[in-house]
Amino acid sequence: MVEDKISGVVITFFSTASAVGKTLISINMAAELARQGYRVCLADFDLQFGDVANYLQMQGSATVYNAAQRLAEDSEYPLEELVSTCSYNNVSFGVLAAPEELSQAYNFTADMAEQIVKCLRMRYDYVIIDTTSMFSVLNLSLLDLSTIITFLGVVDFIPTIKNMKIGNETLQSLNYDSNKIRLVLNRSDSATQLSIREVEEKTLGSSFYHVLSNDFRAANESVQSGIPLVLRQTNNQLTKDLRQLVALYTNRAYQEEEFFEEPAQKSGGWFSKLFS
Amino acid sequence: MLYNVLIVERNRLYLEKMAAVIQSLDGYELAARFQEPLEALGQGKVFKPNLILLDIDMDDAISLVKDFTEAFPNASVVCTGEKWQGDSASHFVKAGARGYLIKPFTASEFRSAIESFAKSGMESASQVLTFFSPKGKSGKTTLVASLALALARSTGEQVGIIDADLQFCDMGLFFNLDPASTIVEAVRDINFLSPISLSTYFCEVEPNVRVLCGTRNPSLIDRVDIPSFEALIKMSRSLFRYVLIDVPAGFCPTSIAAAEMADTTYLMTMLSGTYELQHLSRAREMFQDWEDIDSRLKVMITRVSPCNEKARQQLSDDLGYTVEAIIPNEYKLVSEAANAGRIALDVKDDTPFAAAIGNLADSISLHRRWVAP
Repeated sequence: MVEDKISGVVITFFSTASAVGKTLISINMAAELARQGYRVCLADFDLQFGDVANYLQMQGSATVYNAAQRLAEDSEYPLEELVSTCSYNNVSFGVLAAPEELSQAYNFTADMAEQIVKCLRMRYDYVIIDTTSMFSVLNLSLLDLSTIITFLGVVDFIPTIKNMKIGNETLQSLNYDSNKIRLVLNRSDSATQLSIREVEEKTLGSSFYHVLSNDFRAANESVQSGIPLVLRQTNNQLTKDLRQLVALYTNRAYQEEEFFEEPAQKSGGWFSKLFS
Repeated sequence: MLYNVLIVERNRLYLEKMAAVIQSLDGYELAARFQEPLEALGQGKVFKPNLILLDIDMDDAISLVKDFTEAFPNASVVCTGEKWQGDSASHFVKAGARGYLIKPFTASEFRSAIESFAKSGMESASQVLTFFSPKGKSGKTTLVASLALALARSTGEQVGIIDADLQFCDMGLFFNLDPASTIVEAVRDINFLSPISLSTYFCEVEPNVRVLCGTRNPSLIDRVDIPSFEALIKMSRSLFRYVLIDVPAGFCPTSIAAAEMADTTYLMTMLSGTYELQHLSRAREMFQDWEDIDSRLKVMITRVSPCNEKARQQLSDDLGYTVEAIIPNEYKLVSEAANAGRIALDVKDDTPFAAAIGNLADSISLHRRWVAP
């Protein structure tokens, strides 16, 4: 069957500065895509200090290291049987957390990462990848494998902007198609009043594909509760921005009504962790 | 000060060259020259030298250094060799040498070398401090830059910063530098360098603060050649009383090498209300193999508010190990400076941030515990 051989879409979140929201946004992208009915797996390749499992309160999940081990034994292993499931309000998506042990992370190779992503993309509609903020060999092979690279930036202070410029130029130098790289600005209303347009014109040479509002409180609440913003019943601007970003990626018009027609459920208590 | 120089050099050609260099310089006089070390030991005293250039390209060099420092207690002994011997350099220093020069040298190289040795001596008591964080955004770069300035001002000693964050190094930008050479060139050339030629790879920020900047563009590799990087750190000890190394986040060959080479490693994180303390503890476990972990690894937490002794104690109690120092929130300071198009570097003395950094500088130079402002 042709369907079995169709590869899913790989979306990688990358940045050149830490704490720009890669993890939070990749979680929400996975959750929103799952909410729309797609089969989604979120894999944490911030190997040493990844926070996907922390932010979802799924400590103890299956890890990318476990996946690499299985694939080493059997390259055809159906990874969906290993992947942990994050479920909330009848929406579920797969999760592969960062390795449990630092030694496992330290010895993780680019080949292992590549094998995992190649396997996952045959089994899910969307594979969402969280990374570290550097041009390592491993990250480069993940970028190569990606359908779309979401390059996240913040207009924070000067070093961050410099690094965003360098990162953007480095990505350009890799000769990816220009529409493979999507510049997304997070926290557009942060305390610093550097002009976004100025950054776009002088630093990046192109405009941001999408801009996400700053809502530190909502983001923090989401991390504390372990529930992705897009699965909660609140409807703040950040959540809307996140949904719009996903709509841009799926080419589906974003309809606000759609979400509110679903049965309203009180948040809390419904969050469950399912382990395979 | 007038230098009265005694040269001991087996190689006749070098001896002539060095004598010519000394004679060409104001402030230096040639006291005497010898090809035979034992003759110099016996006869040199009558010339009352205060600076001795001693050839160490011979087997018994270390005991010779000892003999000369004992026979000439009022003179500084500077070793001269055909190439830099990183491994023996510390033995020469222990034996009493004040510096190390590569032969042949020009008059200006010689003068800057002697001035530098006069200021700092040679790795005699240098302290290498590495600043390590599990994840990025720890406040590390801001802290290292401010600490270097504070250390230089409070001690008057030479302070060097090595920006080893090879991908996105911000130190050059922080000090508004446009470096002609960076850590990449220094590491590449290290086997051909002596401490004095290495010093030209550093950019001066203040008369006694210099920075070895990181790369301008991220190379597509995440490390430098580690043995060369270690040689760089070792040689930097000869140039500075304090060497501060900013390393990439997380465990990588570069950050591990810098931590292994350091007298003290500061394990740092920034409080942000998520999982950073768990990451801190996990990272700390990796250092448990160090037998002297308590003196060699110090934990520091930034963006702590309020920043007082009670907060430090509370964090220590929560974590189950000592938090050496806490640093208050400097974000407002940094972002305000950015808005004004400049870098928050010269922090006003009366801010809590400056007070905490000042206390950190004192704890390092006076070998005592950090105290809350």
